[in-house]
Amino acid sequence: MSRLVESNPFVEVATHFFLEDLADKVGISGLNNYLIGLAKTLAANMPEEEWKEWGEFLTALRAGDTMLSAFEEITTVTDHCIVTRHSPFERGWREYTKRVGSFSVAHKQVADFYNKNVKPTAVNSLHIILQTFRAAAATRVNVGGKVVRYAQVATVWADGQRMVAGDAERKDLLIRAGISETKLRMLLRDNADVWVLWTD
Amino acid sequence: MLDVALVSLINDLSEKAGADGVIQFWQRVGENLASRMGKEAYLGWPSFNVAVREGRTAFSIEGETLTLTDMAIMDIDGDVVGYLYALKQCVFLPTILRVRYTSGDLPRADREVAQEYNESQHDIAICNFCVFHERFREEVAKNITVAGQPLTCLLLATRGFTGETKISPKNLPKVGINPEHVRALLRNYECVYALEMRGAKLREER
Repeated sequence: MSRLVESNPFVEVATHFFLEDLADKVGISGLNNYLIGLAKTLAANMPEEEWKEWGEFLTALRAGDTMLSAFEEITTVTDHCIVTRHSPFERGWREYTKRVGSFSVAHKQVADFYNKNVKPTAVNSLHIILQTFRAAAATRVNVGGKVVRYAQVATVWADGQRMVAGDAERKDLLIRAGISETKLRMLLRDNADVWVLWTD
Repeated sequence: MLDVALVSLINDLSEKAGADGVIQFWQRVGENLASRMGKEAYLGWPSFNVAVREGRTAFSIEGETLTLTDMAIMDIDGDVVGYLYALKQCVFLPTILRVRYTSGDLPRADREVAQEYNESQHDIAICNFCVFHERFREEVAKNITVAGQPLTCLLLATRGFTGETKISPKNLPKVGINPEHVRALLRNYECVYALEMRGAKLREER
């Protein structure tokens, strides 16, 4: 797959308006369901993957050769802790704020709904898509005969807003990631996402 | 990834609301986006064209827009009342490539929406995004004045990823430009449109 060509941010701005129009029609919980369904469909449309061992998978992950890194440039902090430097949605959002104005409140409202009902790691609507996509995509990736599992540790948006997994879950995830709380806070200074991949 | 997800969204929406439902949806989104971008006023065509070149107009959200300064539109008195503008690359092309390299083919809905639009409204769409695009530009043009006159936008020609071209049978006569001339423009551009002063009385076809 390697690195994809960059999208035209206008298409993303149009999609934001598409989602805002949808929110007017189906409400915030409806939009949340829609975004989750959308991300799952996207993952289901991508071919399944199998890798012999974790090392081979990590090499593919770093090179953008797996669906889990198809849309974002990632680096691996440890064998299981992955960070995304810039959100794949940042260009579209910047174009929106530059050309249109401040982001519609619907994007925040749906994230609040998601944080309350699913997991408290979304700053806006786009993170619902990204995090649901990663979770659904991971189930389609096999490493050494085992299904990959994914969890979001923390999210930082371009404007500095951040959401971090709850205390109990975070403790467990940091052990899986092989990093400390201090290291996590360091990573959050200049990265958009911190996430964990592992197999049982 | 949002653009690739959008393609799935179109497919889903088309299954639920039909191709005509997607068209209505896209047109409403185009109107909403244009209305959020606000009004603009320019002293004359030179200042507007400089703003286009420097990416300061609402049209600039599409990416690099070129003013074809050799393609001025004149009225019956010989005054310039508009120009042709072009995009080197269709804004949806990167998305088509991204879909190709992640999930495979564009879904059937993309073609169906374009086809429905061509049959029911304006035979100019190459892909579903053209539907949004045309309405967006029309609405933006209404919000821009040049020398005090509001503009009107006419989509003239499009060229798709596979080489398919469309030249508007509806809009070309309105700007008085020969179809062969526009066909030649499509060798180098993927989307050609005209902006002209609303209500201008044009010269005969060139």
